[in-house]
Amino acid sequence: MPDLLTQSPDFYKYVFYGVLFLAAFNVAEVFFLFYNKRKVELSEKRRTELKRLASTAIITATAPEELLPKPSDNEEFSAYSEAIASVLDSFEGEIAAKAVRLVDQLGIAAYYRRLARHRTWYKRASAIDILSSFRLPSNREFLRSALHLETVNEVKYRVIYGLSFLARGKGDILEIVAALSALPYLTAKYTEDIFYNAVRALKDRDAAGDFGAFMREVMSDGFVPVLIKRDMLTACYDASCGEGRAILHDYYLNNPEEPEILIAALKALARIGDFAFIPAALKHPDWRVRMTALNNSDACCADLRPEIRPMLRDPNYHVRMAAAMALRRSGDKGTAVLKEETASPDRFAAETAAYALTQEGR
Amino acid sequence: MSGPLLRFAVQLSQYAVLLYFLAVNSVYTMLIVLALRDIVKHAYLSTSRTARRQLAGEFYYKPVSVIVPAHNEAAVIAQSVRALLNLHYPEFEVIVVNDGSEDGTLAVLREEFGLKSSIKPVRLQVQHEEIQAVYRSTEYPDLIVVDKLNGGKADAINAGVNVSSYPIFCSIDADSLLEPDALLKSSKLFLEDDSLIATGGIIRILNGCRVEGGAVTEIALPSTTLEAMQVLEYTRSFLSGRTGWNALNSLLIISGAFGVFRKDVVIAVGGYRRTVGEDMDLVMRLHRHCHEKGIPYRILFVPDPVCWTQAPFTLRMLLRQRNRWHRGMIDALLFNRAMVLNPKYGETSLAGVSYFVFVELFGPLIELFGYLAIPALYFLGMLSARSFVLLLMAVLWGISINIGAVFLDIYNFRRYKRNSDILRLCLLGALEFFGYRQLMLLERLKATLTFRKRDWGQQDRRTMGPSK
Repeated sequence: MPDLLTQSPDFYKYVFYGVLFLAAFNVAEVFFLFYNKRKVELSEKRRTELKRLASTAIITATAPEELLPKPSDNEEFSAYSEAIASVLDSFEGEIAAKAVRLVDQLGIAAYYRRLARHRTWYKRASAIDILSSFRLPSNREFLRSALHLETVNEVKYRVIYGLSFLARGKGDILEIVAALSALPYLTAKYTEDIFYNAVRALKDRDAAGDFGAFMREVMSDGFVPVLIKRDMLTACYDASCGEGRAILHDYYLNNPEEPEILIAALKALARIGDFAFIPAALKHPDWRVRMTALNNSDACCADLRPEIRPMLRDPNYHVRMAAAMALRRSGDKGTAVLKEETASPDRFAAETAAYALTQEGR
Repeated sequence: MSGPLLRFAVQLSQYAVLLYFLAVNSVYTMLIVLALRDIVKHAYLSTSRTARRQLAGEFYYKPVSVIVPAHNEAAVIAQSVRALLNLHYPEFEVIVVNDGSEDGTLAVLREEFGLKSSIKPVRLQVQHEEIQAVYRSTEYPDLIVVDKLNGGKADAINAGVNVSSYPIFCSIDADSLLEPDALLKSSKLFLEDDSLIATGGIIRILNGCRVEGGAVTEIALPSTTLEAMQVLEYTRSFLSGRTGWNALNSLLIISGAFGVFRKDVVIAVGGYRRTVGEDMDLVMRLHRHCHEKGIPYRILFVPDPVCWTQAPFTLRMLLRQRNRWHRGMIDALLFNRAMVLNPKYGETSLAGVSYFVFVELFGPLIELFGYLAIPALYFLGMLSARSFVLLLMAVLWGISINIGAVFLDIYNFRRYKRNSDILRLCLLGALEFFGYRQLMLLERLKATLTFRKRDWGQQDRRTMGPSK
């Protein structure tokens, strides 16, 4: 191979072209850097001005579309869309309605819908992200069709996220769950976000009851993964989805072998002041369930001290610590128990009790 | 008979050196192209909208333990801890592990943060030297100081891991400063991807920058060539190197100066191993563990979260650091030699480990051979002029790679704002090949010969005060 290079009669000609190419490339790179730096500085300035102009117009003017020039390039669309998303995050009522109207009037939604069909997946993903942030009901059908046509999971996750803001009833959430269940599980945060958005959207339409009906429907659906059901319970209590108590009881009782669901149900029930399952959960074989029960025990049941005391000798470090802190929080009697335990021959129990006594009862 | 043989050997040696340079340059060029693709993708997917959502939705986070191993860091520790306590993050603890310092590091911490003894039981999940005391700050309840017998950086982080309460930990050097949102940006990746087990952000050089109140307020290139040259090296190594390896699932180093890890997986591999290259060793063992157990996993470098660190400011310090890095790399490769050219470990072995073995480990030997062979062959009248010209071309290609790395950084991140700094970085890209590279090469060779040494050497520190 090197022979081929060095023995060629045109060797020096190739070298000359090679040097010329590399030198030109380097010089071009440096010049481009300076040119680009200047361009970016100017464009950032323009973008900031446009954003400020758009935000001010939406908040103060009655007809902002008359004050704002129609966007013509990606930068202008991007500046407007950021301003609108920011207004939608901070305002409701008339101002939010003006911002939403502007998305259609200035052709912003149409622009990002076009971009959402781009052949590069991350450009589609970015456009879907932006479209979702507008929460436009008119985007619902577009997002649904995008979900069916899309082949890349990373984009599908974003489409589902966008759809979660636009849920209108039980049917929509079932559709979202079906799409989620067909994809690899992403993260708890993502799935909780989806259900949280859906509950909020239903509440806005006075249809919060639909979420309860949906939860009942999927409770025994084996196609829906346990983790999704767990996130659903968590989101339900984050978004205060109301008539959840009976459903949470059913989930707890019907899933004795699923610690993830038991934990989510215990936490959600504790938040609404229902501690019915705490004593039983203290004896659950999964340490995470025991710990969740301990973390909520002091709020309900001071008489649980006899059950909690042996847990200072639990095989799990986190459970021992949680048991000690639960006793610490349970008042003078709990503190007395801890003081006794500091003399325990069990080193783990004694150290945990001593540590808990140095902590404030929080 | 000996004449043609000698001639063949001479030709072979010239071609070997030439092929080495071609191979190395091809790898770097490929990495730059992959990095450019990755960075552009990352920029698209982390729009300001997403960032705002993350900041607004602070109720979704995983609490993080920040572990700071400190050995004789009295000059910088107070500023460093203060900067860490100011991080934008909803729930985190800072654990400073005083690793048997003899310069009063513990006294400084006591005085600055009002430490009080704590008796919280510590779980022994990974091995380390004996902990003498654990303190908690009376002013900052989330600051814990562990005082332990000296055992080295790896040992200190292991102690921090045992003391830590949260499922994710971030290890950071005591002489480094995290940007306020660095922890948020790196830990959110663990929320977005359950298979992520480790991630690292970019390390940038603090020398030359203005630091006020524990934060970098003005970014500039250091005035000395030695320090500025390291800016170029870091830029090339992090932006083109590590971002490129991401695409091949072959990232083998997460810098010890700033890395974020899932604690359960680190405990599963037995924590850090006591070696001078503990950062690379840990990442290699994480790869091995997950491959061997069939655990789906990702180890990612992300260019966004920035950690500023002090670079050596004298040649002696720099050589000592490079010597240590090279010894650490050799030790990590030897310890994890099962991964060398082993298809069981997939692309991580065939791409990442192979690169480290054939380019980083054996490369200096081939390069030295080239530097010695060329003048020798010239004086013997056996140097092929055409091969020599090709070698010069390879150098020019190398310069282009350096300028490409600068381009990648300035185009995407625009940290260095002054035109003079950008121009200087480009010029340094060319200058590196004439003296600096050879010096580093010699030190790496020296390290290869003494790779069994385990010492870290004395660390010199400058305070990170408000002056530049």
